[in-house]
Amino acid sequence: MPHLSFTGMLRRSLVHRRARSLSALVAMTVSAAIATALLTLYADLNTKLHKEFRSFGANVVITAPASKPLPPDALLRVHQAAGKDALIAEFGYAVATTDRGTSVVVAGTDFAAVRKLDSWWQVPSWPNPDDANAALPGQRAANFISDKTNLKLTFSGHPITLHSAGELRTGGDEDSRIYLPLDTFTQWTGVQPSVIEVQIPGGANTVEAAIARLRTALPEIQVQPVRELVEGESRIVDRTHALMYGAVLLIALTVAVSVLATLSASVLERRRDFALMKALGGSQTQLMALFLLEALALALAGVVLGFIIGSAAAWVISETNFHTATLPHPSVLPLVVLLNIVIAAIAALFPVRVLRGLQPAALLKGE
Amino acid sequence: MNEGHLLHSNEPGPAVDLPEITRPGCAVISLNHVTREYSGHAGVVRALDSASFSIVAGEWVAITGPSGSGKSTLVNLIGCLDRPTSGELKIDNVDVTTMSAVEMDRFRADKIGFIFQQFHLIPYLTAVENVMLAQYFHSMTDEAEARRALERVGLGHRTDHLPSELSGGEQQRVCIARALINDPPILLADEPTGNLDAANQEIVAELLEDLHRNGHTIVMVTHDPEMASLAQRKIALSHGKVFCHPVGGPMVTLRSKP
Repeated sequence: MPHLSFTGMLRRSLVHRRARSLSALVAMTVSAAIATALLTLYADLNTKLHKEFRSFGANVVITAPASKPLPPDALLRVHQAAGKDALIAEFGYAVATTDRGTSVVVAGTDFAAVRKLDSWWQVPSWPNPDDANAALPGQRAANFISDKTNLKLTFSGHPITLHSAGELRTGGDEDSRIYLPLDTFTQWTGVQPSVIEVQIPGGANTVEAAIARLRTALPEIQVQPVRELVEGESRIVDRTHALMYGAVLLIALTVAVSVLATLSASVLERRRDFALMKALGGSQTQLMALFLLEALALALAGVVLGFIIGSAAAWVISETNFHTATLPHPSVLPLVVLLNIVIAAIAALFPVRVLRGLQPAALLKGE
Repeated sequence: MNEGHLLHSNEPGPAVDLPEITRPGCAVISLNHVTREYSGHAGVVRALDSASFSIVAGEWVAITGPSGSGKSTLVNLIGCLDRPTSGELKIDNVDVTTMSAVEMDRFRADKIGFIFQQFHLIPYLTAVENVMLAQYFHSMTDEAEARRALERVGLGHRTDHLPSELSGGEQQRVCIARALINDPPILLADEPTGNLDAANQEIVAELLEDLHRNGHTIVMVTHDPEMASLAQRKIALSHGKVFCHPVGGPMVTLRSKP
């Protein structure tokens, strides 16, 4: 080697103690990988959770005043106020009589819109939107009908026969209703839509803002959030965030302890080397720099490896749980670097104390 | 390789161009009532008790005494690795007791060359790199000079070997080359032959004799009467007290500067 440089010594020292260096590198890589995975998922969490929550149906319900239908332009105004990403479906309700003489709630709606809004409904096959007489009877409602294929219903003396597309199962009130196309419903019953259900994407604040816009656009109509859903979503998102923060902190502490043990052992087993350097005139600053830069080199190498592994892990976790890929987020890199440097710094505290208290004379004497 | 006879005063080389201060007659090390106490669980232990003596430039002094007599404490103080609790300690006419830690580091690098019983070579650096390490902490590295230093101790053919590839005697000679590389006025040897077999002891003894002949001041701690007999003067320690420091032996003649 023609030149003895600081970096050369650093490199040779790391390579010479490869088992110890590898152990510290693995710990730093694990920390960086977990931090990268969690922070990458965290960055996409809101979007993904909101997307998941969208499948739970409407989070805002717009209801006409008692015994009055919605204004004819209500749907248009809701579309304008709720935003282009909102899912909206209109409903009209009436009570009809089955062929067995039992009363049943019939609901007219737009099946294409409902299919998007209430994607969680369990339906064997959605009715064809072009089929004006297609119907979706709820599981309990179907029990009140003799012929479950051709549904014979009467409303105020007006009979209608609908084709069942299959039974609807939701576990809720929907199971007791029979759904049919809104135009058919209106022509048959003469009843106008009275409810609009809206799914607004985003967190609680976004939903509240949209509600405010809807209330302004429809002052004469009741606009109510589905509190359980809005607040539940907010609570779950907040708790998931807290859980992820906690996990990152816990893992960081665990890794810090592991790196502390490795770095301490590394300093303790090289006390004589450091003592020699001090005896040769090495200053406290030079020895500290040698040791701390070694820890820093391991921390940064851990970041590079950890970022790659963590991004891959985030991709797999996202694909498995949300069925969408999460691409690497370069924006999390500074945080991962900071975390690993903090871990290395915390882990270096004890070894630095050892270095500061080094007694070269006693050590070099072999005491 | 003609080992052990490469430092005679008639050979040219930068290692024998001694600083002015090291000329014979000047007290290069001076202790005046130096005491070193350590506090421990058992109370205060006085490891060195009011030691007073001087070592002149070019002198070879052996420090002897049983274990626990204060030899290591004395070496630590002379080597600027420790400070006295009280008293005055001058190295090269500079009172080191008033120096800051940083000044002590600098002073140590300039003035003291250490030779250790256990060699203390950095295991992942080659022989020449171990020598260069002393240059690194002193000023700047010079590989050619480091190789020359190894050649002077008879290791010109082993410069690129790791310590694990060298015998004990060879490792000690690397240690001596490292001690000499910055041309310090004082060589501080702590049991320099303590870990060596008879053959290597002889080689190291000859090297030290050569260094002495070339005008280096050598302070050597030893248990070995044979090694101690090579010194001009013995300083005996017992229970932290200097009780015998006769002046004797011929002073060396310095080779004149070119």
